[in-house]
Amino acid sequence: MNTEELCKYSDSVNELLARYGVKFGIYKNNTFKEQLFPFDMIPRVIHQKEFDYLERGLKQRVTALNAFIKDIYGDKKIIKDGVVPEEFVYSGSGYLAQCEGVMPPKGIYSHIAGIDLVQGKDGSWYVLEDNLRIPSGASYPMIARDLCRKGLPSAFEKYHIEDNRNYAKMLRRTMDNVNTGGHTVILSPGRYNAAYFEHSYLAEQTGAHLVTGNELVVENDWLYFIDYSGKKERVGAVYRRISDEYLDPMNFNEESVIGIPHIYDIYRKGNVALLNAPGNGVADDKGIYYFVPRMVTYYLGEEPILQNAPTYLPYYEADMQYVLEHFDSLVLKDVAEAGGYGVVFGSKMTKEEKEQFIALLKKEPRRFIAQEVIDFRDIDIYEDGKIVPRKADLRAFVLMADEPLVWKSGLTRFSRNPDSFIVNSSQGGGFKDTWVMAE
Amino acid sequence: MAILSAEHSDQLYWLGRYSERVYTTIKLFAQQFDDMLDLKTEEYETFCEKQDIPNIYASKEDFVRRYCFDEADPNSIFSNLIRAYDNAVVLREEIGSETLCYIQLAVYDMNKAKNSEAPILHLQKVMDNIVAFWGMVDDSIDSECVRSLIKFGKRLERIDLYVRMRIDRREIKREMKRLNLRIGRTGLKYNTTKLAHLNYLVEVTPMDYELILQEIESLLDQEEKLAAGF
Repeated sequence: MNTEELCKYSDSVNELLARYGVKFGIYKNNTFKEQLFPFDMIPRVIHQKEFDYLERGLKQRVTALNAFIKDIYGDKKIIKDGVVPEEFVYSGSGYLAQCEGVMPPKGIYSHIAGIDLVQGKDGSWYVLEDNLRIPSGASYPMIARDLCRKGLPSAFEKYHIEDNRNYAKMLRRTMDNVNTGGHTVILSPGRYNAAYFEHSYLAEQTGAHLVTGNELVVENDWLYFIDYSGKKERVGAVYRRISDEYLDPMNFNEESVIGIPHIYDIYRKGNVALLNAPGNGVADDKGIYYFVPRMVTYYLGEEPILQNAPTYLPYYEADMQYVLEHFDSLVLKDVAEAGGYGVVFGSKMTKEEKEQFIALLKKEPRRFIAQEVIDFRDIDIYEDGKIVPRKADLRAFVLMADEPLVWKSGLTRFSRNPDSFIVNSSQGGGFKDTWVMAE
Repeated sequence: MAILSAEHSDQLYWLGRYSERVYTTIKLFAQQFDDMLDLKTEEYETFCEKQDIPNIYASKEDFVRRYCFDEADPNSIFSNLIRAYDNAVVLREEIGSETLCYIQLAVYDMNKAKNSEAPILHLQKVMDNIVAFWGMVDDSIDSECVRSLIKFGKRLERIDLYVRMRIDRREIKREMKRLNLRIGRTGLKYNTTKLAHLNYLVEVTPMDYELILQEIESLLDQEEKLAAGF
């Protein structure tokens, strides 16, 4: 199928996405705005063999990450054995002392993982980032697929493309697997959250109840949803889309007004499941990322299938030296930042900026990682009636239900700026569907 | 099993009220607009007075523009549509994307009307979307309680507006009949004495419009209103 055919109904599909309110929220100058998420009709196509490789690698990686979280809040063998330095574990903002000794239902910490990958020009895939807290994005290709099947029936008839609309079923299975008895809810901070569309869409598609903190209450060691007649209904699983610090003012940030007092206490007792588990940030810190391939070998006794982008930790003297010598060819990332923020390219800094940055790097080496700039494989997008190449990544979703499940699709995000590697929606990026070929 | 929080029941009720307010005020405004062209009827000041909204408009043209399209005016049709949207957008899993989308489309069409060269003509599309929204409420929402909360809000708002605008008694009685059928299906506690009184008031001559408006607002038990956050 040629790109002209694919793009013929681009405007119509984008209009329909607008009709269904497929948006994300953004704060600009302290004002909340909803923006449409531009969709590009040309899909990223991944052939079955290639996806089989990714699937194996993703399952392996998330299984190892889950084992790491369990170990860190448990026996800490990986630290004792010197595989991961303790400074990297305990000084990261993702580590929560409150999670020490807490075992979630069925020992699952990372129920929904979003793994960001890029493909180099030689076709090699690299993991750029692991997201184990509240990764978002699956809803966008799901709803776009539904519309594209209407606009491009011949493509879906002719090619065997894995149906990605099963994500809601996979998510439901994941939630039900750990439910301790009662309703399943999706806990949202509310409609002014950037990903509110996704929260509400996933609630609709999974049949879970979308709630905010003030609709739930902990009583006598159980979690309840209060209905409008005042009746209390037990809740057994909470897919929470609010961050750890705001989850429970009695255990985390006491100023949180969107959390549920004492929910963490009853989670600790095994009376409710929280997806994802609090404390997961210890494993998706940009500094910890460096050690993930070692975790695979350590916990699973296997060679890592997926590779990291070549990464340096200025914390180590040798790496610091390398970073200083090759500064212009590296991208530097602040480990505390996300969403494409805190990312700077050595080559784009002025002399003064570089001096200032290096001084900061020497002062706070644990705060930064440096990576080789991967020459991403460009993918085509349709813009103003023309096909143009742009940088793109792939967020793959791995769900840990009764077994690890890899969603046979993913969110492909692209930069709309020809000179940029930043693909985040909050910075003007668009998205594509990801077609995994069934044969 | 469907469960509904007090917050969502409140939002369903207000979704019904605001969507109706948009629909009926466009209809009422369209009639006023038409009459004003021939100067057949009283000016917009009386329209504002009847609706109990402040007359902040500098001229007929200003009224036409701002009453319809000024998002910053809390009494404008547009700002009422935004409130309908604010309630609808948090109810996706209760009402479904296929129902919600008509409120979203109404917002888009309201913006298009605002920026068009014939804005009043294009308000028809906003009304069409509201009608489609109500159609979807009936067609696609399984929960009778959810449907009834929206429709109860809609009926109550329609009676309120009809009474304010002194619409024909037969219309008010018809809406009252529909309200009687609906209210018991909402699961809300309501004041049966007030409801009986309201039914009586729409029958007597002359009609005590002010008292009817008061009774409408006190129909739901005070405790129920507090519990539901009304």
